Amino acid sequence: MTYHQAKYDEPLIKDIHSGTDYKVPAVSDKEEELIPRSLARQTLNLPDVAEFDVVRHYTRLSQMNFSVDIGTYPLGSCTMKFNPKFADSISQISGFSETHPLQDQGSIQGSLKIMYELQEYLKEISDMDAITLQPLAGAQGEFTGILIVRKYLEDIGELGKRTEVIIPDSAHGTNPASAAMAGFDVVEIPSDSNGMVDIEALEAVLSDRTAAFMITNPNTLGIFDRNIVKISEMVHKAGALLYYDGANFNAIVGITSPGIMGFDIVHYNLHKTFATPHGGGGPGSGPVAVKAYLKEYLPVPVVSMENGRYFLDYSAKKTIGKVASYYGAFNMLLRAWAFIRFHGSDGLLNNTQKAVLNANYLSNRLSKTFTIPFSPLKKHELVLSTEKTGKRALDIGKYIIDQGVHAPTVYFPLIVHEDMMIEPTESASRDDLDRYAMIMEDALKEDVEQLKKRPLNLGSRRIDEVKAARDLKLKWN
Amino acid sequence: MSDERSAMLEAMNMKSVDDLFSDVPANMRKKSFRIPKGISEYDLIEEARKNAAMNRYEGYRKFLGCGIYDRIIPSSVDSLISRSEFLTSYTPYQPEISQGMLQSLFEYQSLISDLMGMDATNASMYDGYSALAEAVRMAFRINGKTEVLIPETLYSGKVKVIESYIMGLGLKLVRYRYEKGSGFMDLEDLSKKINDNVSSVVVENPNGFGILDENITRTRETVGNALIISYVDPVSLGLIKPPGEYDCDIAVAEGQSLGIHKSLGGPLLGIMSFKKEHVRKSPGRIIGESVDADGRKAYVMTLQTREQHIRREKAMSNICSNQALMAVAASAYLSILGKSGLRNVALRTASNMKRLIETFRSVKGYNPDLFSGRHFSDLPVQSRISSEDLRKRLLEKNIQGAIPFDSLLPDLSRTYGNTSFFSVTEKHNADDFSALKSALEEFK
Repeated sequence: MTYHQAKYDEPLIKDIHSGTDYKVPAVSDKEEELIPRSLARQTLNLPDVAEFDVVRHYTRLSQMNFSVDIGTYPLGSCTMKFNPKFADSISQISGFSETHPLQDQGSIQGSLKIMYELQEYLKEISDMDAITLQPLAGAQGEFTGILIVRKYLEDIGELGKRTEVIIPDSAHGTNPASAAMAGFDVVEIPSDSNGMVDIEALEAVLSDRTAAFMITNPNTLGIFDRNIVKISEMVHKAGALLYYDGANFNAIVGITSPGIMGFDIVHYNLHKTFATPHGGGGPGSGPVAVKAYLKEYLPVPVVSMENGRYFLDYSAKKTIGKVASYYGAFNMLLRAWAFIRFHGSDGLLNNTQKAVLNANYLSNRLSKTFTIPFSPLKKHELVLSTEKTGKRALDIGKYIIDQGVHAPTVYFPLIVHEDMMIEPTESASRDDLDRYAMIMEDALKEDVEQLKKRPLNLGSRRIDEVKAARDLKLKWN
Repeated sequence: MSDERSAMLEAMNMKSVDDLFSDVPANMRKKSFRIPKGISEYDLIEEARKNAAMNRYEGYRKFLGCGIYDRIIPSSVDSLISRSEFLTSYTPYQPEISQGMLQSLFEYQSLISDLMGMDATNASMYDGYSALAEAVRMAFRINGKTEVLIPETLYSGKVKVIESYIMGLGLKLVRYRYEKGSGFMDLEDLSKKINDNVSSVVVENPNGFGILDENITRTRETVGNALIISYVDPVSLGLIKPPGEYDCDIAVAEGQSLGIHKSLGGPLLGIMSFKKEHVRKSPGRIIGESVDADGRKAYVMTLQTREQHIRREKAMSNICSNQALMAVAASAYLSILGKSGLRNVALRTASNMKRLIETFRSVKGYNPDLFSGRHFSDLPVQSRISSEDLRKRLLEKNIQGAIPFDSLLPDLSRTYGNTSFFSVTEKHNADDFSALKSALEEFK
């Protein structure tokens, strides 16, 4: 299959001058009667474009954008699975999209019911006891979780001494950033030769200064850490809390759960595991679940039910407060609800199996050409190194995108040199995987100079990122 | 098991799917999975419709606002952000295959910078409240000072989100007063509270009473070197002086008004703009212009060394996912409306506010004139009956409104008992106001 992305010399919207044709009902009042003179705006620069040109402009731009609906998009730890269209249809039902967050609760029973059911589903999936849907992305979920750690430690009188959050070197960058934002010192520990938590290193840093240990399991290498129960015991024995980064949840839904593994706090990424569309960078949605003893610390409100009536429950006594304007990204919650309802327990388990099968199948094949460190048994993703091929991961990535599929995540996790992190998800057939592997193998047939010229078939050639940072141009004037 | 699955397992010398999970010890397996079995698409959509029908929205006249507004959304906006090339893409980590999203976000940064009158804008935050809280953190990164002055009229929800975001920083929030007569910020009180430890001063326009604050242009002369953080209504900027014109350092807003559905308050759009000298201390993703190997203009994520995936615990913020799709909606909205459109939307909103005030003045038992300052979209109204009563009774007349004052500003509720907010946008017309009037007359 040859691929050519649309390539337009698309002007900036400000340089299209077809004339605004937007209609607003007329106003008879004079501006001077309506707003204070001292606050009147003198100049306003906005485009002067006809609606049809706005539509053409953004349609052309969209054609210069790769997406899940176009092809395989195996960014590691991003879980770019197919976003079902039934969720689009449901999200557009006006009974949902036209509700105001501050309207009478009696008039939003349907939306509250959806949220309540989603809370129950997510608790069941994770085997946790209580949940908030409020956080607006995975990272905000992490921050919420660490604030809960903070407030809890404060309550038991240990915040003063427990100032450290331990994080493995294979962790997502958001983990240390979230811990630091909540005022903790980050202590990084290495992975062992199996790509798992180095138990001795963990033992060495665990102390009465430890507030929490944040990990994801399976980790970013796609490896399930079978020592997790032991780790949980060690962390709890030290008086610290165990935090689960749910970015890699797609590997375990229906198989095991953070609750079983002994975690105290977990966040979900609904835009990953539950297929809500990621819109070129967001919106996300990052609910946080906790064990019963932390329930009172959750942000308010949560949705509760009494006698068949749903309500926004502000009763949590030790709540950390709020992290967002309202109750979460409802439209994303609705889509995740639809995804879970559609697939059910049987479908969710089936998805997990297929996602793990796909990652292993691809890993098995690619291991013949590339170095794949650590255990050969993967969960949702695999990390390979291109180092021994003599070709850079960056350049191979540019070859891949030239073939109409998306490149893996490159140069992450930071502990493998020249690495590519590949997460095929369940939305890939065997043919897709074979073709993807073939593309990666073909990339090695080009010499380094040819690879450096890639991409050739896209909306843009290789972009000068250094110039972008040096000659900062962040807007059009 | 499907043939494909068997063949794939066979290719790996595996017998069953269970072999794939041999690394998960038996005692860690999930014993029960109590989620109903899957259903068909048809049944799912029927169930969703039934749930939606439990919400009441159709046939109601709505006077709800206070941050989330019922504005007209051009159909083209929905159509464009439904395009799966935008909808189902990820963060543009490979810029060459993602120029569409990158240019769209660069245009968003430009449009919002123009609208705000500011030097630069990031490619979006989660929502207005968290953008405000991040702005407070950013100010602290810039000057390291530890007091934050916030208006007494700031919604308690915003205060709570700020409090969460600064929990680990040891910052102190200090409230400054408003003028009882006008409802504007009290510059004298603000001036008294300014000292060398003040990191930032939060101002709002319109403020928590919905008032266009005529004192806001005198903020700089009052606060000296403290950083000014301004929270504004982006639609009001079609008519009103933007933050850049009163020397604001960081401007934030809730962008839902710019073509985004209310959806029970999410997803929203956090807008954040700043002066160029603060760019490197700013949180969030930023798109920059560059060139490609052929010398053609091209766009990339830039200044990533501020971000968590590079800097980890030293990052400016932990934000990763943002509201890119909502930013595209806002860009399409602003482009379709243009200067005249946005101005007219703001003008019609202000004009409808006049109608709303007149409506309440014309019925006994209601006082819409708590302040002499002018309102834009939101109006607090004092009534003889309680806010809750008023809300319930209006609902019986198919009118949604009367957001209780004490739900937004609990600390001021003793001064303003029996007070509720009513809001207008460009959508309201004469029929809405006469329906409101006759309803109010029936239970005065």
